[in-house]
Amino acid sequence: MTKPLLEVKNLSIKYPIWGGVLRHKVNEVCAVDDVSFTINVGETLGLVGESGCGKTTVAKSIVNIHRAMTPGVAQEGEILFHTDDGPVNVLELDRSQMRSLRAQIQIIFQDPFSSLNPRMTVGNIIDGPLRLHSGKTASERRERVAYFLERVGLQPEHAGRYPHEFSGGQRQRVGIARALAVQPKLIVADEAVSALDVSVQAQVLNLLQDLQDEFSLTYLFVAHDLSVVHHISDRIAVMYLGKIVEMGDSDSVYKTPSHPYSQALISAVPQPIPRRVR
Amino acid sequence: MAAYFIRRILLTIPTFIGVTLIVFMVTRIVPGGPLERRIMELRQASAAQGGSSTSIVDSTTMIPKTALNELKKTFNLDKPAYVAYTIWLKNVFQLDLGRSFFYKEPVWEMITSRFPISLTFGLTGFILSYLVCIPLGIYKALKHGTPFDFVSSAIVFIGYSIPGWAMGVLLLLFLASGRFVDVMPLGGIRSSSFDELPKMVQSSEEVEGVSDEFGTFQWERLTPISKFVDIVYHMILPVFCYMLSGFATLTVLMKNALMENLGQDYVRTGFAKGLSERRVIFMHTLRNSLIPLATGLGHALSLIMAGSYLIEFVFNIDGLGYLGFNAIVQRDYAVVMGILVINTMLTLFGNIFSDVLYALIDPRIRFD
Amino acid sequence: MNANRTQNDLSKQKPLLEVRDLRTYFRVEGGIAKAVDGVSFDVYPDEVIGIVGESGSGKSVTSLSIMRLIPDPPGFIAGGEIWFNEQNLIDLTYDEMRRVRGNEIGMIFQEPMTALNPVFTVGMQVMEAVRTHQKVSRKEARNLAIEILDKVGILDADRRLKDYPHQFSGGMRQRVMLAMALVCNPQLLIADEPTTALDVTTQAQILDLMLELKAEHERGSIMLITHDLGVVAETCDRVIVMYGGKLQEMGSVEQIFEDPQHPYTRGLLDSLPSHQRPGEDRLRAIPGNVPSIMDLPSGCKFCTRCEDAVIGCENTEPPLYDVGEGHLVRCHLLEDAVK
Ligand SMILES: Nc1ncnc2c1ncn2[C@@H]1O[C@H](COP(=O)(O)OP(=O)(O)OP(=O)(O)O)[C@@H](O)[C@H]1O
Ligand SMILES: Nc1ncnc2c1ncn2[C@@H]1O[C@H](COP(=O)(O)OP(=O)(O)OP(=O)(O)O)[C@@H](O)[C@H]1O
Ligand SMILES: [Mg+2]
Ligand SMILES: [Mg+2]
Repeated sequence: MTKPLLEVKNLSIKYPIWGGVLRHKVNEVCAVDDVSFTINVGETLGLVGESGCGKTTVAKSIVNIHRAMTPGVAQEGEILFHTDDGPVNVLELDRSQMRSLRAQIQIIFQDPFSSLNPRMTVGNIIDGPLRLHSGKTASERRERVAYFLERVGLQPEHAGRYPHEFSGGQRQRVGIARALAVQPKLIVADEAVSALDVSVQAQVLNLLQDLQDEFSLTYLFVAHDLSVVHHISDRIAVMYLGKIVEMGDSDSVYKTPSHPYSQALISAVPQPIPRRVR
Repeated sequence: MAAYFIRRILLTIPTFIGVTLIVFMVTRIVPGGPLERRIMELRQASAAQGGSSTSIVDSTTMIPKTALNELKKTFNLDKPAYVAYTIWLKNVFQLDLGRSFFYKEPVWEMITSRFPISLTFGLTGFILSYLVCIPLGIYKALKHGTPFDFVSSAIVFIGYSIPGWAMGVLLLLFLASGRFVDVMPLGGIRSSSFDELPKMVQSSEEVEGVSDEFGTFQWERLTPISKFVDIVYHMILPVFCYMLSGFATLTVLMKNALMENLGQDYVRTGFAKGLSERRVIFMHTLRNSLIPLATGLGHALSLIMAGSYLIEFVFNIDGLGYLGFNAIVQRDYAVVMGILVINTMLTLFGNIFSDVLYALIDPRIRFD
Repeated sequence: MNANRTQNDLSKQKPLLEVRDLRTYFRVEGGIAKAVDGVSFDVYPDEVIGIVGESGSGKSVTSLSIMRLIPDPPGFIAGGEIWFNEQNLIDLTYDEMRRVRGNEIGMIFQEPMTALNPVFTVGMQVMEAVRTHQKVSRKEARNLAIEILDKVGILDADRRLKDYPHQFSGGMRQRVMLAMALVCNPQLLIADEPTTALDVTTQAQILDLMLELKAEHERGSIMLITHDLGVVAETCDRVIVMYGGKLQEMGSVEQIFEDPQHPYTRGLLDSLPSHQRPGEDRLRAIPGNVPSIMDLPSGCKFCTRCEDAVIGCENTEPPLYDVGEGHLVRCHLLEDAVK
């Protein structure tokens, strides 16, 4: 089953730097530099690298939200998403086309605190994308919300509560439920578990794996914690200063990294083994 | 950063043109303009001359065509609007704001002669507000939740909900009208008779000393101290009314900013270093709390300096606000436009001034 | 530090800090939240002691109580003793406590972004720490500041004194924090999640730096609060595991990581991807959520999520059992083993 779902080809993203009296573009930062990778259907690709290396930038370009969020951003290359009707280049879609594609590509953000609207009930938060994409009736949608709340380990009655009534882990589950409810094919998880305690993190990682098996989801899993990425990914791509410096099978990258930067990154991860025992 | 401020200053030009252009066009479209007024005046004058003629006659028949054209010419109404605007704008850049249709005086002089009056009232109110609101806000933040906090909040909000001019009317009624007590002047910026002077000044001056040979009161003959006391005496009520509305906003802004900053991590760091409470509050949080106040400062300054129409009206202060108020009522468009020029410039530069202050207080701010 | 020191050697030493039955409560809507409820432990000279536990377990409140920095209201120290340098910190007056803070006990916090005052220069903030506790001239304070910034690895410290916090990266800011906390040579450094906001490479540098500086300062100790078990394993000599405001297990880092006795400690370790057993696909997560501090059971705090819980666990609070060599565990299941 090595049908590609997402093909990123020679992606380069430059953020503009504005300046001067007339506020013109005086320079640009190359946040992503000639990045290419493929994710196959049902696979998890882990993307790791230190802060500022461009992971989030890649994640955002896959759901094509740069143009709306940062005017003047320059995106080159192709992001081919294989829909049932053949491949489309995400970067070339206009707003309405992108909106319909959102039903197939969803993103989960790092911060479970700020990515949920505090003034909306959890039910409405999950219902939002459903209303846009599913064309279902209100009662069907309500059932769907209840189902996915249960699926992520919350109770259907939680639908009437507000995000601040939940713990960090529970909020992250709400974010996952929202992404899942439209039954996407690809989920981009940008540091989805980084803010969680180990025990909660383990629960959420298990949940993501279960859901992957159940709905044959494909993940792009962005994180800086290598042991987590190693655990959940089939393949790992290591990013450094906007470039992918190493990509390969999860075990081989984690255990026998070949690029010096990957080696440094892996050795920096503190191991839960007492120093004196090692 | 310099680029930012240069850009901001350059941007004032199109904004200025935009604002004045809109108002200029409105003055040409709205009926009841200066031309109609003149015609009416002339008609009334000729009617008065004609003695009994009260018959309704078409105005154009009353006024010779040449005179009408002459009139149009003086108001530049014979030219297309954009040409008239260009002429007006060109004159503005030469500090020529035209002549008042009503008083026939140069508008520029009318404004410059009143500007110091509005400035004195505005600035005094403004400085006093900051002098009172900042300490009050600090104290309320430190005493958050205590009876003092509640009571002072209630008081400032009552003040907030009463318009300054309405308060002015009330104060005049109770303190100056003589129906209740008569301790305050009825208005104006200085006394116009010996009786009106505050008691303190009356007792130190001789009636004869401040009167000329006809026995009329000469304010200029007062001693400097008496002059000062008299001006202050006249300023108390209007300045209080100026401050009233801004007071609540400013106090609550200060209180909230300080409370928010007291909850910041750096405050805990300060205590963890062993700093005293006083130092943490007055050294560390205060400067951070002033940031939101500084951003409003330029704006508030421009508002206050332009004078408040209604307050000046109530207190009979011949300032910019009063001038503008009358000009609008009388459709004295040259004056309206002149005041608009001043107000627009004050607002635009007030905002730039805010940004400068902001950048000075908060080193994180890099405008670019 | 002494690599082979055991608990027995330690107990012959005089502790630097003795926390006895510390109880810190918060008045909240609906009653009293017992954030820290009867915690006792010692910190010995020249050791790194780690406190781990999930969010809300009371780690920060413990450390803030030692510094007497609990926001009051709503918090207050309801009881206990904190002995440091022959004095009970809880009995000190405000001004006496001020002389301890920053001078004898330094503290750094999680968010180096917000823990520094954004509108003052770094130099001013470090010099302020010196001049609060030492009668030195401005110039001497400046020199001390340069010296310590140099030590924590800020290049060109002389010039950077004039810079503002936002001109530093996250890791550099944490170095500045460290400089500020250490400039008066405190005997104890409390570090509350010092590297949580940093990425792994920067985290490794900061932890190394902390250990390096400790090695230079004889008899200086570090209390390191974190929820990252990897960080604990790599830096600490002894570990305290907290849950629900109580100390659940305490022992040397080997005892905790090689031979965890409390089901909670085991659950935390099992949650780690690196502790996944070969052939197992899923992580062994602790089931359930951390209960709100207001509805903790009256008996063992962990029993609602404990897979080994037996009848009775929820009713009586287990005592701390000593399973040997100073390894303390609060679990009913150990009752027989200890006897
Ligand atoms: N809107 C923007 N304008 C200009 N530069 C940006 C913008 N967003 C990000 N950058 C820069 O692009 C680079 C990559 O940022 P990105 O957020 O993708 O990093 P990241 O790998 O996700 O890091 P982290 O682990 O901190 O989330 C950084 O150097 C960042 O400063
Ligand atoms: N100011 C406060 N008011 C009310 N409750 C508080 C306050 N500060 C802390 N608490 C409560 O005390 C308990 C312990 O909090 P503490 O900050 O010590 O947790 P922690 O172990 O440091 O967690 P984290 O890993 O999230 O920092 C929590 O349940 C928290 O709700
Ligand atoms: Mg990111
Ligand atoms: Mg904490």
